[in-house]
Amino acid sequence: MAKYEMVVGLETHVELSTKTKIFCGCTTAFGAKPNTNCCPICIGLPGTLPKLNRQVVHYAIKAGLATHCNIAEDARMDRKNYVYPDLPKAYQISQYDKPLCYGGYITLRSGKKIRITRIHIEEDAGKLVHDRGDTYVDYNRGGVPLIEIVSEPDIRSIEEAREYLENLQLIMKYIGVSDCKMQEGSLRCDVNLSLRPVGSDEMGTRAEIKNMNSFSNMEKAMQYEYERQAELLDNGEAVEQETRRFDVGSGCTESMRGKEDAQDYRYFREPDLVPIHTSPQTIQQLLQQLPELPDSRTKRYLEYGIAPADVASLVKYQAVARYFDEACQGVENPKTVSNLIVGQLFRRMPTDEEKETCTVAEKTAPAQLRELVQLLESGKIRMNLAKTTLETMLDTGKSPSQLLSAEDLSQVDDTALTEICRQVIADNPGNVADFLGGKEKALQPLIGAVMRATKGKADAKTAQKLLRELMACAQ
Amino acid sequence: MVTKEEILKIANLSKIYVSEDELESLTHDMAQIIAFADTVNAVSAGTQEFEGISGRSNILREDEVIPSYPREEILKNVGGGEDGYFPVKKKN
Ligand SMILES: [Zn+2]
Repeated sequence: MAKYEMVVGLETHVELSTKTKIFCGCTTAFGAKPNTNCCPICIGLPGTLPKLNRQVVHYAIKAGLATHCNIAEDARMDRKNYVYPDLPKAYQISQYDKPLCYGGYITLRSGKKIRITRIHIEEDAGKLVHDRGDTYVDYNRGGVPLIEIVSEPDIRSIEEAREYLENLQLIMKYIGVSDCKMQEGSLRCDVNLSLRPVGSDEMGTRAEIKNMNSFSNMEKAMQYEYERQAELLDNGEAVEQETRRFDVGSGCTESMRGKEDAQDYRYFREPDLVPIHTSPQTIQQLLQQLPELPDSRTKRYLEYGIAPADVASLVKYQAVARYFDEACQGVENPKTVSNLIVGQLFRRMPTDEEKETCTVAEKTAPAQLRELVQLLESGKIRMNLAKTTLETMLDTGKSPSQLLSAEDLSQVDDTALTEICRQVIADNPGNVADFLGGKEKALQPLIGAVMRATKGKADAKTAQKLLRELMACAQ
Repeated sequence: MVTKEEILKIANLSKIYVSEDELESLTHDMAQIIAFADTVNAVSAGTQEFEGISGRSNILREDEVIPSYPREEILKNVGGGEDGYFPVKKKN
């Protein structure tokens, strides 16, 4: 039993996928040559005026609605002052005490809710490149819109932190406000972590670990920080309130700045921008634009009787989930569809990127998969034939009706199947003797022979039953 | 009341060097500025919190790309930059 419990809150920065920056018309396209997506506004020249992008406000409100937040009727922008070369104006336009969204939550699998304090909009800083002691600045990213999602310190373990962040990422992708690529920096997070003795409900002194840019780094940083603080507390020493950086190379966190030089941002209202007023009508419109969210999808798929692991892998990729939903229209048992998708379609798209766009849809439309499942459900074909037909469909892009002959679709009735089983028993005396001698395994080649003789149309379970009965009688 | 320590703190946050001679006059000036702001505050009391200067809200632009500036223009004020970047040289 661990002696200390961790108390964690996350601050997550999500880059919005608008076409233009938050306060000017420069493109947000990633990967351009340095300082080519810039104008006087986003490099902070005196005399320029910011103009807020409507889409930024709408995306942020959608993010709030999708995480059960309240939307502020009146919000405003503030200046957060600090001097650093990545910030050309020496202040960042952000939101201080009147954020757009507040008071939401994200639900974990356990049912536990991680509360969201607030979601606000702000501008990203430029990128610094360090070379031999000198620094070079690229302002292409400067002014790209961000939302910062601040959680309450409700997280108690590394696993909960991971699940919270995964859920957040999935929700933002579902609602289309961000691609949330950690490797490209469009999802970054700061971890606030403190410890307290198990059973206590007091808050310890926290350290803030800045800019985690991958799940594994976040987990390593949290583990290291837990052990570091536990050791301090064990030795009767105090944890300092400070900002720390995670060093990927050493796997350690190190102090960036302590409490004595804690940032004083001297926030004040941004005089160049008017307040943001959000009407109930706007909220209603944006609410209607939201797709079905991961939580609701998960619940629905579980009700279909699909195994939780399969539900998770369908819901994880919105394009796959949509494909599944479309293939299920008019199908008796959605579970059959999910089995074919997880079992066979997933093998055709092994990477996350492929599943993200559901690449198999280019070859095999959901309606074609549905047609196959309906043949299966009407008893016209058996599972074995369905599986091989599906492989050919995925290879050729053809539909079941193009691939299955009249003979394939003719059903094997029980009389015919009994006859075939008799023939198989007669043709394989060795296997029959082995089986009757107690070798259960010897049944398999006999079933195989029946399936070959019926071109896979026989139901394997019925064939097995018939074979057993016939052999028992013959004894 | 504005103290010298407060002036030094603000100067430090703004990365401005303030000499001992200036400190006295800056402290005096700052006290006057704050007194002036207090006067303004007293006059504007009663104004709704969310009223902008014009009483307007939601001045927004559509999300449409406008061509950015040529990089030569962007880097003009830093002597053309270095390899397309804004250089920040370490003090010697
Ligand atoms: Zn710009």
